[in-house]
Amino acid sequence: MAESRSAPVLEVRDLSVLAATQPILRGINLTVPAGVILALLGPSGAGKSTLLRCLNRLIDLTPGLRVQGEVRFHGQSIFAAGADPDALRARIGILFQQPAVFPASIRQNVLFGVRHAGRVPRGDWPELIERALGEASLWEEVKDRLDAPALRLSVGQQQRLCLARTLAMNPEVLLLDEPTSALDPRSAEAVEHSLLRLKGRRTLVLVTHNLAQARRLADQTACLVVREGAGEIGLPDPDLDRPAPTVGEI
Amino acid sequence: MRKVFDLGFKWVTGLCALLACGVLALMVGAILFRGLPAVSWHFLTEQIRLVGADGGIFYNLVGTLILITTALIVSAPLAVGVALLQGIYLRSAAGRRRLLLLLYLLNGVPSLLFGLFGFIVFVKFLGWGKSWLTGGILLGLMILPTVTVALIERISSLPRRYLEAAAGLGLTTEQVIWSVILPQSVGGLITGALLGLARAAGETAPILFTATIFAGATVPAGIRESPVLSLPYHIFVLAQDSFDPAVGTKVWGTAVVLLGLVGGLSLIALPLRLRIHEEANHG
Repeated sequence: MAESRSAPVLEVRDLSVLAATQPILRGINLTVPAGVILALLGPSGAGKSTLLRCLNRLIDLTPGLRVQGEVRFHGQSIFAAGADPDALRARIGILFQQPAVFPASIRQNVLFGVRHAGRVPRGDWPELIERALGEASLWEEVKDRLDAPALRLSVGQQQRLCLARTLAMNPEVLLLDEPTSALDPRSAEAVEHSLLRLKGRRTLVLVTHNLAQARRLADQTACLVVREGAGEIGLPDPDLDRPAPTVGEI
Repeated sequence: MRKVFDLGFKWVTGLCALLACGVLALMVGAILFRGLPAVSWHFLTEQIRLVGADGGIFYNLVGTLILITTALIVSAPLAVGVALLQGIYLRSAAGRRRLLLLLYLLNGVPSLLFGLFGFIVFVKFLGWGKSWLTGGILLGLMILPTVTVALIERISSLPRRYLEAAAGLGLTTEQVIWSVILPQSVGGLITGALLGLARAAGETAPILFTATIFAGATVPAGIRESPVLSLPYHIFVLAQDSFDPAVGTKVWGTAVVLLGLVGGLSLIALPLRLRIHEEANHG
């Protein structure tokens, strides 16, 4: 199960992130094969979110951080000079812990990225909306009120809307930053259900605190630990329950 | 003993507040008491007559509105540009601080110096003579810090998750600006502009020798040699001649109109500001 079935989608090589001279992440190596769900475990402050934000260069938005080492997406270095972070982020979607829906209708939210990318013709939008909301397990709940304000949805529904918004971009990779930790159990279950259905078709990197969730969803697990003030890939805390098999590379 | 000190201090702060409010109330009260009788429909819609002793202030009101509208048109796009530079494009904290410092410096420049600058550059060098456009540009530059800082505050208080969500979908910085940052911070621009305009409406020094005259101007038809009348300059000139009781009433009446305009602009800004704060906290 831990064996890579195909060429890796993402490879992290000796990646360090520094704030001024203080390292946040140190010497990270990680390989993400195509089509798997890789769970990234670790205590708070180990830099899980920071690592996740390196994978689609969202880290660029935080001023004052320096990234060393390499991240390769299909073998191409994403931090290389001339690499286009916007195009990268269109192919590597991200879902945050807190849903961030825009103050617009449900429909507008699903189309938010698509409209700007301009790859899908306008005529295909209705179909796209249904597919994306369906994949996010939200279609049945909102299909009769697509033009209602998205902010009126419950937090759990908003999170699934954000998932739909990301899926509408048809990303190859989906980064998930504790996507269910702010949700009620029913919504959390719906999100997990969606993620399981995406398995195999997309590559998922899931940051989670929740060991049980990692066991339910993940094919592979990596663990960040804090050593001398910075996050490193390491063995999980022995006090914790034994997680799913770890990746050979680490 | 400590209790007594605490109580005493409370009283002193209360007195300070009372004094500040009292001065404002007295001033507004005095202006209204003396000026309100002079304000009438005719006062607002008639031209100046008998060197200010008779008639109304129609073209003074029009002139001031022209000046502050021009100031708005000048300052709004500049403010958007500077605020985006400060909040989005400048990556280093030092650069951001320096730009902010520059804005505060600009805010501290005495308004009379704006007038001198305008006189040298527009009136003399460009040869515009007295022109409403010079006045509008100078007032626009003068309120630029107010408008920009309000917008910067609004942009920096935008929830980061919105920016990350938009960028995470692959939007370019420009697309994030147009689809997220500007729509959600336009409230800051509006409040900043209203507060700035309230200040600009009452300024005399920048327009004194660049844009406004006492009498004989209506609606400007061009740029060169096209001054306007204005409310503050009207008060400035008439006040020097207020021994004549007829003129005196007109001064107070003009003051009421100016106060109404300034107060109105500030009052519109206030609830807008409160509402936006509420949205920011609940969004």
